[in-house]
Amino acid sequence: MPELLYLVGDRKVFYMIVFDNVSFQYTKEQESLKNIALTINEGEVVLVCGPSGCGKSTLVRCVNGLIPHFYQGRMTGCVTVSGTDASKTTLRKLSKHVGTVFQNPRSQFFNVDTTSELAFGCENFGLLPEDIEQRINSVVNRHDLGKLMDRSIFKLSGGEKQKIACASIAVEPVDIVILDEPSANLDYTGICELQRMIEGWIEDHKTILIAEHRISYLFPYITRALLMNNGEIIKEFTAKEIRSLSEDELQGLGLRAERMQDPTDVKLTADNKKSNGDKMILLNMTYSYKGEKPVFNIPQMEIPMGEIIGITGANGAGKSTFLRCLCGMERSCKAMLKIGNELWNNKMRRRKIYMVMQDVNHQLFTDSVLEEVMISQEAEDKTEALDILETLDLKEYADRHPLSLSGGQKQRVAVASAIASGRSIILFDEPTSGLDYSHMLQVSELLKKLRDNGKTVIIVTHDIELIQNACTVVIPFMQYTTETQKESEV
Amino acid sequence: MENNNRLNAKDLINVGIYTAICAVICCAIAMTGVIPIMMVLLVVFVPIFTGIPYMMFLTKVKKFGMILILNALMGALMWVTGMSYYALIVGTISGLIAEFIYRAGNYKSKKLGVIAYAISGIYCWANYFGIFFNAEAYFSTRQNFGQEYIDAVTGMLPVWMCPVLLVADIVCGLIGGWIGSKVLKKHFEKAGIA
Amino acid sequence: MEYRLDRNVHSLLDPRTKLLLLFTSSVFVVGNAGEKQMIVFYWILVYLPVFLLFIEKEWKAGFVAIAVYIGSFYAQLALRHDLTALESALALMLYIITKILPTVILARYIVKTTKVSEFLAAMNRLHVTDKLTIPVSVIFRFFPTVVEEAKSINDAMRMRGIEMGAKKATEAVEYRMVPLIASCSIIGEELSAAAMTRGLDVGKKRSCIWNIRFGLFDFIIIALCLSCFIWWGIGRFFI
Repeated sequence: MPELLYLVGDRKVFYMIVFDNVSFQYTKEQESLKNIALTINEGEVVLVCGPSGCGKSTLVRCVNGLIPHFYQGRMTGCVTVSGTDASKTTLRKLSKHVGTVFQNPRSQFFNVDTTSELAFGCENFGLLPEDIEQRINSVVNRHDLGKLMDRSIFKLSGGEKQKIACASIAVEPVDIVILDEPSANLDYTGICELQRMIEGWIEDHKTILIAEHRISYLFPYITRALLMNNGEIIKEFTAKEIRSLSEDELQGLGLRAERMQDPTDVKLTADNKKSNGDKMILLNMTYSYKGEKPVFNIPQMEIPMGEIIGITGANGAGKSTFLRCLCGMERSCKAMLKIGNELWNNKMRRRKIYMVMQDVNHQLFTDSVLEEVMISQEAEDKTEALDILETLDLKEYADRHPLSLSGGQKQRVAVASAIASGRSIILFDEPTSGLDYSHMLQVSELLKKLRDNGKTVIIVTHDIELIQNACTVVIPFMQYTTETQKESEV
Repeated sequence: MENNNRLNAKDLINVGIYTAICAVICCAIAMTGVIPIMMVLLVVFVPIFTGIPYMMFLTKVKKFGMILILNALMGALMWVTGMSYYALIVGTISGLIAEFIYRAGNYKSKKLGVIAYAISGIYCWANYFGIFFNAEAYFSTRQNFGQEYIDAVTGMLPVWMCPVLLVADIVCGLIGGWIGSKVLKKHFEKAGIA
Repeated sequence: MEYRLDRNVHSLLDPRTKLLLLFTSSVFVVGNAGEKQMIVFYWILVYLPVFLLFIEKEWKAGFVAIAVYIGSFYAQLALRHDLTALESALALMLYIITKILPTVILARYIVKTTKVSEFLAAMNRLHVTDKLTIPVSVIFRFFPTVVEEAKSINDAMRMRGIEMGAKKATEAVEYRMVPLIASCSIIGEELSAAAMTRGLDVGKKRSCIWNIRFGLFDFIIIALCLSCFIWWGIGRFFI
């Protein structure tokens, strides 16, 4: 039992999490946590923020026991969770106290159907089926998840998956809830729903620890915020202090400061020079999943050339599918793209349009960055390839394996091969999901650079700051989604 | 940290994942197996192509039992997707042998890894047992097909092919394992994920 | 509208029955045990999977399976005399299809209709070790993921025009395999971490929210499977 701290009315409050001078390193070279000392009381909502690589994920992994039980490394100091030394117990025992929602909705489910996933944790603890049933019913009704029950997780959108992930932790009888960058793949409505889940946990007096760099959506809930950098807690804010920081100050700390707002009414700040008013016209694009009604229907869409075009819309509206159709990867879509006097069919678009996918890992094939750029060239030309790498600050990585680079660097490698391919239209699918402020700015600069070189850049995103910073034109996707699709979003 | 030599959930999930990868690759190859000549060549292609995931799998193996379970599961998958239960039997035995071979090098030696892979891969060869040993039995219930037809089918599967295929399977396993360890070095070790 | 979880929702058959049926089918349909003596059971086992698909309202898959099966079966009959080399090759192909198709359909039915949670509980009741059931349930879960990943890698190759440009066959294979394995290995790592923070462990008692128990159809199928084996045994040892 954790140590008694004080009484609030007749409720006892305990130290829930205690870090006693904890350091950790995954590899010999780099220290990921340095001398962390921290106490978190029962019922607190603590935000751990900081730029990527600051150690916030490592910190929360010490609490849920993944460090040292899953990720091996050198650890000194002691983490006490709910009264027990986390390194001396087992992951299974810890999991009865701590529930974690992870960043990637694609990889955190063990079951194939949503209902079983909700029950999974409780089943592992051997709770009575009747109790689990009751817990599930209450969570589902409280958060109105009835529509998501008994579905295959492979048929859910990213936002829906994250809702199920939160709900499955809410079903478990844990005291501590950890959220490890939960908003990385969420859009505006998704974040609103995440807020409802957090409110629910607060009502139940759970202790909540959140690692995030998008922070403004958490302002109403947090009792404290810890700012980390290079594995250290460099500053601690009270809720009031962090709320009073200006947008510029937050961005200076590497945090995403965007206020909660609907991406459809964003004001663009990027300057709109150079574009000569040429347009390409997309004709007759419609797409439906096998045997279902169309997801979207675009009789005609004018896309200005030489601009950075942001396509915005909710998660699951079919934006990514739209990009796939646009670059000719969906065989069943018979759309045409009219540029000047030319009409491009699927096959031509596949040869003339380049897409940087959301998961760049899928499009890096070779064993060195240089090679990756060279296979995109019509005729291999090493000097030109090196020049391209130079402009994207990748020259020093020319011999590295693309998969060994960081997420942002991988994305730049993909862009480098897009440039090398000489194609004039480049598509980006959610290029900034999960990126912190400075990395988002890097992407934004990159997009501008592409435009300055005469490329037409089309991005699908729900990142408001990116839209504000980079886009010169915004096309709301909502107008093209079909009625059935709109209903299911509401 | 505790029970260092017992398989934990992570190890078992790894076994499941790599079995799934190998199975998808086998399926993709087996689709081409409906073309008769390809069917005979399965024994060549499966060991060569599954070598890459298998060698990657071996980097995750640090405890006794993982290779054995993977092999038994591959055998069982072959069996339920309609090959024959010999695949399960042979797969389990060859998995056990492979397990001992790889363990002899403390789950580190790549050379032993390649040999272990080649040995474990003979479940693929066992798939043919059903066709070799049962073809006549199958047709005994279908005399109305006519003798020519039966001769034509069984004629393509003479019993002497059986050992030839075994040798082919092991040789291709060695090649596949070798390619796998090359790819491992060229990509996954260089990228720091193996 | 209030949501009520129905713990009795399950497919027609218990997971244990499904496995027994799969076992029976692979012995008598693929393995062709008992030969002529088993002919009635043989035909029941061949058409049963399609019947199960129909019960799950998988009309299209069911009809396609029947069409392919009957098509290949009668094509075999047509290829009866004086075969050319090409025709005998075709005959072999048809032979394999008719032999394995019913069991493949059955396996597909089982994967589609069995929940991971049900499967773990049913195997637990049969005292099958976690060392087998956990990997098998991961395969259920991971198979679609591997296919999904492979598809998007293939898309990326088409988009970059690499599938045509690959100079050697080895490159075509390498370019597909490397990102596939890299990405599956990352997903797998995250999947293990997530499952373990939710208390998954080896050899610990689990509960299951789904009520799994044998129903009328289970008894019919079990009776069918047992009578297959008994009839076969009689044929072998007494006649």
